[in-house]
Amino acid sequence: MSIFPWLLLISVIGMPLSGLVAWAWTADKNAKGALMLSTLFAVVGVVGAAGFLRAPSAISLAALPWASSLIAVDPLSALFFLFLSVTAALVSIFAIPYLARESAHYHPRMTVLKTTLFLFGMQGVLLAASPMVFLFFWETMSLASFFLVMSDRSASSVKAALLYFIMTHLGASALLAGFGVLGLGDLTLTLADVAVASSTLSPGMLLFASLLLLFGFASKAGLVPFHVWLPEAHPAAPSHVSALMSGTMLSMAVYGLLRILTDVLPTVSIVVASAVLILGLLSAVYGVLYASVESDLKRMLAYSSIENMGLVFSAIGLGLFGRLWGFPDFAVVCFLAALIINGAHTLFKAGLFLMAGTLVSSVHSHNLEKMGGLAARMPMTGASALLLILGAAALPPFAAFTGEWSLIQAILSILPSLEPMARIILLVALSLLTFTGGMAVFAMGKLFGIAFLAAPRTPEAEHAQEAPATMWVPVFLFAIAGLFAGLVMPWILLTTPTLHLSIANSTLNPIAIFLGLLVFFLIAFLLRRALSSRTLERPYHTWDCGQPITPGMEYTATAFSGPVRFLFRNFLRTRNITTATPIVASNPWIATRTFTLDIRSFWYELFYLPLARGITFLSHTVRRVHSGVIQWYIALIFLALALTLLIAL
Amino acid sequence: MNPWILSVIQFVVVLLLSPLSVGVVRWIKARLQGRQGASPFLPYVTLLTLMRKEMVISNSTSWVFRLAPFVVLATALFFVFILPLVTVGGAGASMSHLVVVAGVLALGALFLVFGGLESASAFGGMGASREMTIASLLEPVIIMAFGAFAIVAGSPLIDRMVGMGGPGLLSHPGLILSFLALLLVALAENARYPVDNPATHLELTMVHEAMVLEYSGPYLALLEYASAIKLTLFSLLVANFLFPMSLISSASGIAGVIIALLLTITKLFVVMTLLGLLENAIAKMRFYRIQEFISGAFFLGLGGMILVLFQSL
Repeated sequence: MSIFPWLLLISVIGMPLSGLVAWAWTADKNAKGALMLSTLFAVVGVVGAAGFLRAPSAISLAALPWASSLIAVDPLSALFFLFLSVTAALVSIFAIPYLARESAHYHPRMTVLKTTLFLFGMQGVLLAASPMVFLFFWETMSLASFFLVMSDRSASSVKAALLYFIMTHLGASALLAGFGVLGLGDLTLTLADVAVASSTLSPGMLLFASLLLLFGFASKAGLVPFHVWLPEAHPAAPSHVSALMSGTMLSMAVYGLLRILTDVLPTVSIVVASAVLILGLLSAVYGVLYASVESDLKRMLAYSSIENMGLVFSAIGLGLFGRLWGFPDFAVVCFLAALIINGAHTLFKAGLFLMAGTLVSSVHSHNLEKMGGLAARMPMTGASALLLILGAAALPPFAAFTGEWSLIQAILSILPSLEPMARIILLVALSLLTFTGGMAVFAMGKLFGIAFLAAPRTPEAEHAQEAPATMWVPVFLFAIAGLFAGLVMPWILLTTPTLHLSIANSTLNPIAIFLGLLVFFLIAFLLRRALSSRTLERPYHTWDCGQPITPGMEYTATAFSGPVRFLFRNFLRTRNITTATPIVASNPWIATRTFTLDIRSFWYELFYLPLARGITFLSHTVRRVHSGVIQWYIALIFLALALTLLIAL
Repeated sequence: MNPWILSVIQFVVVLLLSPLSVGVVRWIKARLQGRQGASPFLPYVTLLTLMRKEMVISNSTSWVFRLAPFVVLATALFFVFILPLVTVGGAGASMSHLVVVAGVLALGALFLVFGGLESASAFGGMGASREMTIASLLEPVIIMAFGAFAIVAGSPLIDRMVGMGGPGLLSHPGLILSFLALLLVALAENARYPVDNPATHLELTMVHEAMVLEYSGPYLALLEYASAIKLTLFSLLVANFLFPMSLISSASGIAGVIIALLLTITKLFVVMTLLGLLENAIAKMRFYRIQEFISGAFFLGLGGMILVLFQSL
């Protein structure tokens, strides 16, 4: 009898309880005690999940026979649980000083209660054994995060939250319908029984159900074109909640898809595989380009989440194609790469959102143009941010790099043995994936370079102070966790006995690369020490051509991304509006000029506005029925009843 | 021969020759332009002088400014360790994975960009923005160009791929396209014509020189040395894909080593002469036309890949 599944259960049950402590204990104004409790339960979850992964003869919750139809643990859910718990623990620590600082904007105790319910929902999703339980926790997660998005009660947040609400419920209803079709109407079956039940379905119905499920998960993961809520909702939430939403909630969608693919639908049709791959590639390219040109710190991170989810889904899509083409080894490597990129994304994105929270509470703005010079003023936050953006840019030897590395290597090694059509699909995928990898470097370089380097652009940035240790230590730990995960992830995945994996090609050795870079860094350092004196230096202002340099002359985020906006103008369709208002009527050249850059209009206008107009038109049409005459309404009820009976019988 | 000895030979040779190769290309350009030209050995003197000079550090900078030169030099040294430049099958050969090469190149570019941004002047910012764009767009080209070689060699290691060069280019004609893509990558990565002008930092055409404008003294020496090493290693790499047989391997004897060293020097001189000729023959591209250069390189790489894949059909 192993203790670890019980630890997971304790963690799940304890999480909402610690939130209730925040609600009930009025003396604890900033919810410090509740956050400490939730940290504790998250750590219990870390131990439980890690222990479960390392224990080869993992058992189910056999001691509770009534529970086995409700909850179940296996290595896949334990892996996701591990990442969720690590994130939850660090985020809870960060939230203690953060909520105390931001108590003017957010109600600390309410926020903590909602956050713990949110975590409870995510934990439950991972342990769900049947569609019913899965959907219950899925809704808990969605509703809690819906209320969290509008925590600051501003009009824009409420608008973002409603958009999120609509999108997430469209997705949830698609999941409900999909599970209903697969389980032949019975949602209380365990997933294994759902698999048995669905085997009697016709291929058409199976395809229909899988597309419904795919829509549900894709809209939760924020894949293009169902992404529209993500860049609105994530920035609106408090930063520690954004960290959870981006880092962990998106990976619940990945988990759900992988869960369905492993337990219920081991073989999917080529339509589903193509859909997953196309959605993934489209999101990766779209996300990375918009992340490159966006100047709002949190919104940019949200676009980068779309990109990373795109990479994860592309890897899953390639894995599905691998299965269809009869290359199970290739499929395994692709799924592994998806897991690695997803785990890496959880760590660096949660860390980056916490970092964004620190910056926003110091500079009082989301706008990158209002920052600058923060590395000198907040050295520890800056150092953590540097490590995090290296991870987010998928540079060696961080975890995301390891994931992309194994994916590209797998693609190159399988290419020669494929059919011509399959080769073309892989070449397109390879081109877009490497393009995304390159542009991610640009986006992350812009983030760090503009926010942290050079001279401060505003007085707020000028007077920014280092955050307290309780705020930067979690961020730093995320950075270290990302580095550590990159170094040991291949090894963990290969030696975890319960995963039963083997990668034929063992050239993946991030540790050697890391050590190599470190050694040469030291050599460069010693070389400089040996050859020159360290004292010969003098501070002076930047070379200014004889005219003093002001922060207004610095390159801004908008200017930095200028080349990208120009090169991809046909895709981005950004709109520049320059207006000149003459000051002196006689001379049009003396004018005040304003420059407005609208970067998100095109796709929104192309896809969503017509849809919104259509729905508004429909509802106006339907409204004509509402005449206000009660007899008419009763007649309508009868009609509806008769119609339902007609269909049902 | 022990792989570590091979690595040490390569390390010493490349590190010693890299200032010379920069000097040679400058000298040849000067001669072709009808100038006397400085001695090809001048860069050695420049680097040593810079190491002894006082540094001026801008007030707007932070610790990142001081970190950048070391990281940039470290990435260059890392490449000398892993790539097959003078010797093949060295101790670092198992790390010469094409994705690692692309990643470490991006890492070096990123830190150079950070150093450029730290100056808080429009020069540094402009260079940084342009360098970041070029480096990001080159990443897929690098993967595509090396990818075709990887498929022919059956290994993702560049150390194995060089063996496919030379006569191998004729048996797999697709690789010629990949080789051309690699050549274009080498020009862009080293901030040479037609992407950048390495001789000036006072025009708005600048990329690399604008970023290092605020560096002085030993830090500038580190950065200059790093870019000299990068130029040398790309030249040798490109040459090795044409003449892979001259590399020192574990089977070489003393005589073979000496011949290979002489050949290495010859290769460097030939490549530098050709580079000097090229830089005199063509004009620098406008920055906003760089996309044509890079997408051209990408489609050469993709074309090479497709030809290699579909050759047997």
